[in-house]
Amino acid sequence: MKYHLISLGCQMNLSDTERVKTVMHKMGFSETDHEDEASILGIIACSVRQKAIDKVYSRIYKWNKMKNRKSLLTFVSGCILPSDKEQFLKLFDLVFPMSELPDLPIMISQYGIVTPAGLQHLESERETLMPKPEALEKEQKTLLLPFETNKPAVAGLKLNPAAGIDEFWHVEPTYTSGFEAFIPIQNGCDKFCTFCAVPYTRGREVSRPSVEILNELSNLVEKGFKSITLLGQNVNSYGLDKKGEEIDFPELLRKIGQYGQNSGKDFWVYFTSPHPRDMTDEVIEVISLYPVLANQIHLPVQSGDDGVLLRMNRKHSMEKYRHIVGTIRRLLPNATLFTDIIVGFTGETDEQFESTRKIMAEFQYNMAYIAQYSVRPGAASSRWADDIPKEVKKERYHLLTNELTKYSFEYNKTLVGKSMRVLVRGRDRKEGYLSAHTEGKIVTRFASDNDDHIGQFVDVKIMGAAPLSVEGKLVHQEILQTQ
Amino acid sequence: MHSDNLHEIISVRHLTETAYVLQITRRGLPFKAGQHILLGKAGSIHNREYSIYSGEQDSFFEVLVKEVDEGMVSKQLKKLKTGDKVQIEGPLGFFTIIPELIENGKFLFIATGSGIAPFHCFTQSYPELNYKLFHGVRYANEGYEKNHYAKNSHILCTSGDRLGDFYGRVTDYIRLNPVSHDTHCYLCGNFNMIHEVFDLLEQQGVPAEQVHAEVYF
Repeated sequence: MKYHLISLGCQMNLSDTERVKTVMHKMGFSETDHEDEASILGIIACSVRQKAIDKVYSRIYKWNKMKNRKSLLTFVSGCILPSDKEQFLKLFDLVFPMSELPDLPIMISQYGIVTPAGLQHLESERETLMPKPEALEKEQKTLLLPFETNKPAVAGLKLNPAAGIDEFWHVEPTYTSGFEAFIPIQNGCDKFCTFCAVPYTRGREVSRPSVEILNELSNLVEKGFKSITLLGQNVNSYGLDKKGEEIDFPELLRKIGQYGQNSGKDFWVYFTSPHPRDMTDEVIEVISLYPVLANQIHLPVQSGDDGVLLRMNRKHSMEKYRHIVGTIRRLLPNATLFTDIIVGFTGETDEQFESTRKIMAEFQYNMAYIAQYSVRPGAASSRWADDIPKEVKKERYHLLTNELTKYSFEYNKTLVGKSMRVLVRGRDRKEGYLSAHTEGKIVTRFASDNDDHIGQFVDVKIMGAAPLSVEGKLVHQEILQTQ
Repeated sequence: MHSDNLHEIISVRHLTETAYVLQITRRGLPFKAGQHILLGKAGSIHNREYSIYSGEQDSFFEVLVKEVDEGMVSKQLKKLKTGDKVQIEGPLGFFTIIPELIENGKFLFIATGSGIAPFHCFTQSYPELNYKLFHGVRYANEGYEKNHYAKNSHILCTSGDRLGDFYGRVTDYIRLNPVSHDTHCYLCGNFNMIHEVFDLLEQQGVPAEQVHAEVYF
């Protein structure tokens, strides 16, 4: 029996999807890319934009039509606003928050579907889905699935979608890459930025126990993973919700750094996204101490204007942001800096946009994910007039993009002639080339058709620069040629 | 539904036809003045943020609710009676006063409508605060429990009648009464007020770091 899964949205959803796959596989289902072949159809939804939610509706209407000719079970989970949840309960067979993923086998069995694993090994199905927290330290024990509980097949009426997230984290992910992985360290958000609906879809900030994070990380490193990203909506408020009963983010990084030093393995650890409000000098100091903590910082600014930041409810000023960037430049002089920016936010004047344009020159980002403001259903700002005309947003978007390419090009030119270690990520679009990124996530392509390099670190000499990438040459090839 | 989030309504205090204060059991939950809770009727999937109206030392929580025409939660909450259950998440938020400033800081609180709630909490929690409060409403009867505030500290700005301390909007009042540079300003209320007041304060030389806002919607 097969399942088909659609994952919409951000890295957090991709990471969640990896855990959903594990649960499906443990039940004996295999994945298919073709929905026609599947008996179970699922969506990991995203509520950041209306478009993503519209996709969910169009898909479920199609799937419900398919039910006329075959037996199907449909489910939806992920980031869902309460108003959509009410509609989804009428359209999907199962609606559940991600925190209830471990109960998915029960929900499916209550629908009368006998899983392939259930047919073969009714008893063993009760095992191996979720290691206990203690087992993560001892590694060997497993937890029985709570089949004896009598939960409704349709879940999802929790006020806080994050309640019970601890059990979700015990589900081992099915990693989609053999060398890059995400580790969720936190779920939910307490910041309530006015343009964002995440606090209403994922609930409050909940930190994952550090012992689990460190365990997952060391397992990945032992398996040869090279790039590991710690994930959370506000990673640097990690631990604060536990009120002293858990280590904080700098300490978590320190432990990872120390593990890296002791392991003798080569890997890079990233994190995304930090919130400037909770970003401390200590975080940057710790990164400067340990080579495995990558010199790449993604620090969302959203706007360069204090007035706009205030209305976005970002809870920090540009002075605070400047201080953080100053510390990064001082302690991590080789670090690259990425950011997120929204242009055309409700009420953004030309003058306020100019403030944002100025910070492009001031901070000289290596990458900026620039979005034209669009109303996000459920977010506070959706109640305000979206009063900046589309053409103005577009123009501002292009102006900032031009600034970005200008400064990133300048930076990339400084790399020419240098030898750099890069992680090879796959074949490049350009025939006969491989694509990689540097520790600072600068996209690097180099001529090679040797797929054995994929997933490995190699050294390249940078030969040329482009606005958002560089081109290099394998160093060992050069040595071979000169010998 | 998680029973550990359930709290009981102690009383409902109606201030106007559309505004009321819900007093709810606190169950020992700690909070900092200025924080908010997410509040919803027990069993409902809908909730909403409400600033805490009561003080840090009070044994209960109070929230000031303004009924909104299209608001699902405020309408549900209005029907609740003493003894009914609500669900609470939090307390959360960062709209708080830096402890070192409580004793000697100079504060200006600017609110529109029910945005006065966190300032009620500040003044209840720290009675010694050196503050001024400008409260903008349409009609004077919306000056919710104005007697709670020190007489010379509270300015009620009314734009729909002349029964307040000042006839006009809070922004008009600020234009006529510039704010000194060393003031820590806290803004709570609707988006337009915050937008306008921030610009005014900037023009009057108040540093951005001294301006804090909680946007109501």
